[in-house]
Amino acid sequence: MTKYSALLFISGLVFLLMVITGLLPIFSDSHTPMLVGKAILEGAKDQVGAANVVTSVVLGYRGLDTLGELSILFAAASVVGLVLTKSSFNKAASANNDKHDHHDSGFVAVNAIDLIFPLLLVVGMYIITHGHLTPGGGFQGGVVLAVAFSMLVIVRPRRASINHGMVSIIESFAGVSFILIGVIALFKGQSFLQPLLSHGEFGSLWSAGTLPLLYLAVGLKVGAELAGLLLALNSDEVVD
Amino acid sequence: MNSLVLLMVLPLFAAFIIPVVAKFSSKLALFTGPVVLCINLLLIMSAWVKVGSGAHAIFLGGFLPPVGIVFYIDHFSLLFSGLIASMVLIVWPWDAKESRLYSLYMLLSAASFGLALSADLFNLYVFYELLAVATYGIIAKQKNSSATAASLRYLFISSAGSVMLLLGIAIIYTLTGTLNIAHLATMTENLHGFAGLSAFALIAIGAGVKAEMFPVNSWVAEVYGTIPRQLSALLAGLISKLAVVLIIKMLLMVFQVQAAFDLLLVVGMLGVISGEMVAWRAKDMIRMLSFSSIAHLGVLFIALSIGGSKGLWLAIAIMLHHLLVKGGLFLMADRFSGHFDKLKGLAHHSPMSAAVFLVFILSLLGVPPLPGFWIKMALVMNLAELGGGLYYLAIGVILLATIIETAYMFNLVQTMYLKADADSTPLNKRYSASYTFAKLFALLLLVSMVFVSPISKRLKDIANHSANPQIYIHTVLPARYLGEKS
Amino acid sequence: MNHFFTVEGILYFGAISLSIIGLFGLLVSKNLFRLLLSLVLFEAGANLVLVLSGFIRNGIAPIFLDGNSGAVMNDPVPQALVLTAIVIGVGVQALALSLIFRVKKHYGSMDMRTIRSKLEREIAENAGVTPPGSNEAPAPVKLIEGENS
Repeated sequence: MTKYSALLFISGLVFLLMVITGLLPIFSDSHTPMLVGKAILEGAKDQVGAANVVTSVVLGYRGLDTLGELSILFAAASVVGLVLTKSSFNKAASANNDKHDHHDSGFVAVNAIDLIFPLLLVVGMYIITHGHLTPGGGFQGGVVLAVAFSMLVIVRPRRASINHGMVSIIESFAGVSFILIGVIALFKGQSFLQPLLSHGEFGSLWSAGTLPLLYLAVGLKVGAELAGLLLALNSDEVVD
Repeated sequence: MNSLVLLMVLPLFAAFIIPVVAKFSSKLALFTGPVVLCINLLLIMSAWVKVGSGAHAIFLGGFLPPVGIVFYIDHFSLLFSGLIASMVLIVWPWDAKESRLYSLYMLLSAASFGLALSADLFNLYVFYELLAVATYGIIAKQKNSSATAASLRYLFISSAGSVMLLLGIAIIYTLTGTLNIAHLATMTENLHGFAGLSAFALIAIGAGVKAEMFPVNSWVAEVYGTIPRQLSALLAGLISKLAVVLIIKMLLMVFQVQAAFDLLLVVGMLGVISGEMVAWRAKDMIRMLSFSSIAHLGVLFIALSIGGSKGLWLAIAIMLHHLLVKGGLFLMADRFSGHFDKLKGLAHHSPMSAAVFLVFILSLLGVPPLPGFWIKMALVMNLAELGGGLYYLAIGVILLATIIETAYMFNLVQTMYLKADADSTPLNKRYSASYTFAKLFALLLLVSMVFVSPISKRLKDIANHSANPQIYIHTVLPARYLGEKS
Repeated sequence: MNHFFTVEGILYFGAISLSIIGLFGLLVSKNLFRLLLSLVLFEAGANLVLVLSGFIRNGIAPIFLDGNSGAVMNDPVPQALVLTAIVIGVGVQALALSLIFRVKKHYGSMDMRTIRSKLEREIAENAGVTPPGSNEAPAPVKLIEGENS
């Protein structure tokens, strides 16, 4: 069987390399025909008003993809919750009974996390709120937030705990507000997820209409989902 | 018409809000989903009337294509939206306790609506992945651990397929610099080279995982064997068709080339043969149904390889027929699963269920007055008209498959009408709702037998309209881009 | 083959090789965790191919700053697409990890062949059919023993 798959692999390799080397326009003098890309680079300043064009694409031109992607994260987090439910409930129960099982990490880690945690929060929020101006945004900032919280729980399992109810409320709230911002435009007779509000002064913090709000929702949601995922996986590792 | 985007948005909204609602009242959470689906059905019906024989495009975010994402609405996409809403309603998990499962079902229907409506390649990929993740979750959620293992294997195969889909999209974007399907349809000359066709092959195989396409369908028997029958009905009946819809969109709008047709034809024939051979040797109902489902999706790919509006017409007819028959059979299998020997004496025990079963099987085989016959005949006639070695071979394969199918299906029917042993208990369950729906499906089949000609005329209209790239392009793209082309 | 040794050529070669290594891993490895890692590689390669489609030599990041009005910018669309694709990948991988965990717990093995043969037997028993011949495969060699459990 391995032989056949190796054969398949070799043929796949040859096939793909042939495609890539000869035929893609990237190797000729002209690069990819950036039809959509050019139109967006020209129009983004007026249509969306965000200095970071990637943000304009993520939240403006292709906002629906972002909504779909948030839903995928939500689905994955729900499934991980469902699949690991039983063991994590047992674990929660046992953790309440004998708390001495869970030791805080050593002196260095505990003190370091006390120092780093607020910094991580600030950095995460900064990345989220400046997503329309600089590289970064809701996803990147959300990951930083998630890491901050899960580090806290990993380092001091006794003191800190993340309330699962709180996490699920945050993720629902963030998802719902993303959709609501989109639906408001629909009720105003425009299209779903159309950017609202004035564009403001180009390149300043208060610019690009609803985009920072959307990124805030994305950041909260990604932070909550990823923190939930990391903790669910972490808690089960402890059990066995 | 812009409000039609609610078809996709409402289920998403419900999915996000259900976990919070469940904290206050689990009853309310249970009913949120069905209510949303009913609203969607109403929306679809009103849109069906409004669209008429035309088509409509929704520009999401108000950005004119090709820069933004577009939803394309015509009778084809509305037909599928209606099927999604009703099918999810039929298999709604009324007795489940977990609110997160309702969320997953809502995400699944949102993704399905998105797949039916979207006209943007990458957006289709996102919805395809959402559908996949929701499906893994629903399968893995089942209490038995074998379902988890089946789900994991499904996840590996399907994710590899998704990556191939992504690679195909990357190649297409490198070649053309756009993702809008209508825009791609104006640039077919860029895509009909070797690179473009290999991108189509990647997309077809990637989406083919869900469509039970020949080389990538080893998950089918395992998954259908471990999950409840209602869920199998949903997966085999509907989800597989949605993956085919993705392939149809690319095939009809962009890749109307002989090489693409040949690819589908070969995969389809291999699927038919391999599926029927395994189904022939199967000893229990679910395994038989799983593999005969693979075979019928092979027939669907053969029909698509005819191309153009004829191919689409046949494909729609086959999909609807397969949805009714396989959906119905899986729903029935809820009552009498297990080894064939256990079915001995079913006809005496419950003549009604044996009769319903017989209706499905006869239509599946293509016995004259039933719709299955007309579809098979139209398919064979169209293949014969095209001529050419591969197409004649396909006719041979279809006829051979029918013979094999007849052999094992009638073996089964014979068992059912045998005299019962004293201790045999063919029905393993009390009355169940899915049996009622199966009877409803059979009734629909019988009714459609009477209205074969108006229905086929209607489907032909839909197909003629939807398979026409010109209508698609003119509806979606603003005049600026059309001028460039001509 | 001259163009093969340009920046684009090398980058493409890397991306394609990465995804082919991943595909090869998916085809031949039997350990669940290795399968997952292969999937990650495969996906990383595909993401690189996608993001490379917007690559312009000497292009700058598509962000309007004060000093860069005249410069050529890279295509922003693939960057946004890859952002989406990466997040989707993370979700799927986390899901796979949790499923692997549960499968390992139930079957006590990380070997795909063992799990598959056990799974097939369970399905057959469920359906009331004795597995064909009960030709149980000899216990396959485990690639990685789970030692931390």
